[in-house]
Amino acid sequence: MYSWIWRHLPGNGWVKALISLVLIIAVVYILFQYVFPWAEPLLPFNDVTVDNQ
Amino acid sequence: MRSSTKGRGNVAATTDDTEEHIGTRGHAPRRAPRRMGPVATAISFFGELLITAGVLLGLFVVYSLWWTNVLADREAGKQADKVRDQWAQQSDSGGPVSYDSKDGIGFLHVPTMSGEEILVEKGTTMKVLNDGVAGYYTDPVKATLPTSGKKGNFSLAAHRDGHGAKFHNIHKIRNGDPIVFETKDTWYVYKVFNILPETSKFNVDVLAKVPKGSGKTKAGHYITLTTCTPVYTSKYRYVVWGELVRTEKVDDKRTPPEELQ
Repeated sequence: MYSWIWRHLPGNGWVKALISLVLIIAVVYILFQYVFPWAEPLLPFNDVTVDNQ
Repeated sequence: MRSSTKGRGNVAATTDDTEEHIGTRGHAPRRAPRRMGPVATAISFFGELLITAGVLLGLFVVYSLWWTNVLADREAGKQADKVRDQWAQQSDSGGPVSYDSKDGIGFLHVPTMSGEEILVEKGTTMKVLNDGVAGYYTDPVKATLPTSGKKGNFSLAAHRDGHGAKFHNIHKIRNGDPIVFETKDTWYVYKVFNILPETSKFNVDVLAKVPKGSGKTKAGHYITLTTCTPVYTSKYRYVVWGELVRTEKVDDKRTPPEELQ
């Protein structure tokens, strides 16, 4: 999967490395900004109140 | 890896572009991409999925325990400044004290738990608590605000981990420790009289006007802090009870009561 991506990136090794870095940052950004905030309430780690539910 | 180590004999056997070529500009022989068998491909893909899952979980831990704190502290600081500004303006204009339920109603100081002040806002929904503040209960049992002067229970909740983690060190509170609630013109000094280190999350009786399990039987001015326990999980709830000892007028310099000095 990752070697496939690497092979299909344009440019030489340095350009590929740079593009990979940008891709990684983009993925982490999307995770932190959208995916994790969505997933967090669905996981039972942060319920602090006592209630009837 | 396999084909390149097998040497020249392999080149003739493959029809794809895996043949090794000597670099024309003096490069070492380049390892060319090779084709794997379907089983090897499947295993390699599966392995990459596992690595990805591992990295994803690691990132989620970083998000939960670090990034949410950064965001929450920033938001809490902003809201706390707003409340302080409002107080300053109100005392300048000499107008009546108004409590806007949307903004914070005051600050909680618990020296043995945390060196910083904790803004208190209305409600205990995630939306409120995720801003790095403590919330007073409106549901299932409505909290009695100390500002009302009535006897009852001032019940609060805040995060143990992530989102500011304002009650992270709740286990450091001991009986007899002070809990001070600061409003625009009054310091409410409470003293801890009982701690429940572990209880069910359904135990809403701890929020009652006379909190059940606290050992008190008569109505009084109580404060209840709740959060989750053990740390990093939400299996149980940790409860700390305090009783109002005295109140102090806030002076011009906002000199804190002796418990905070």
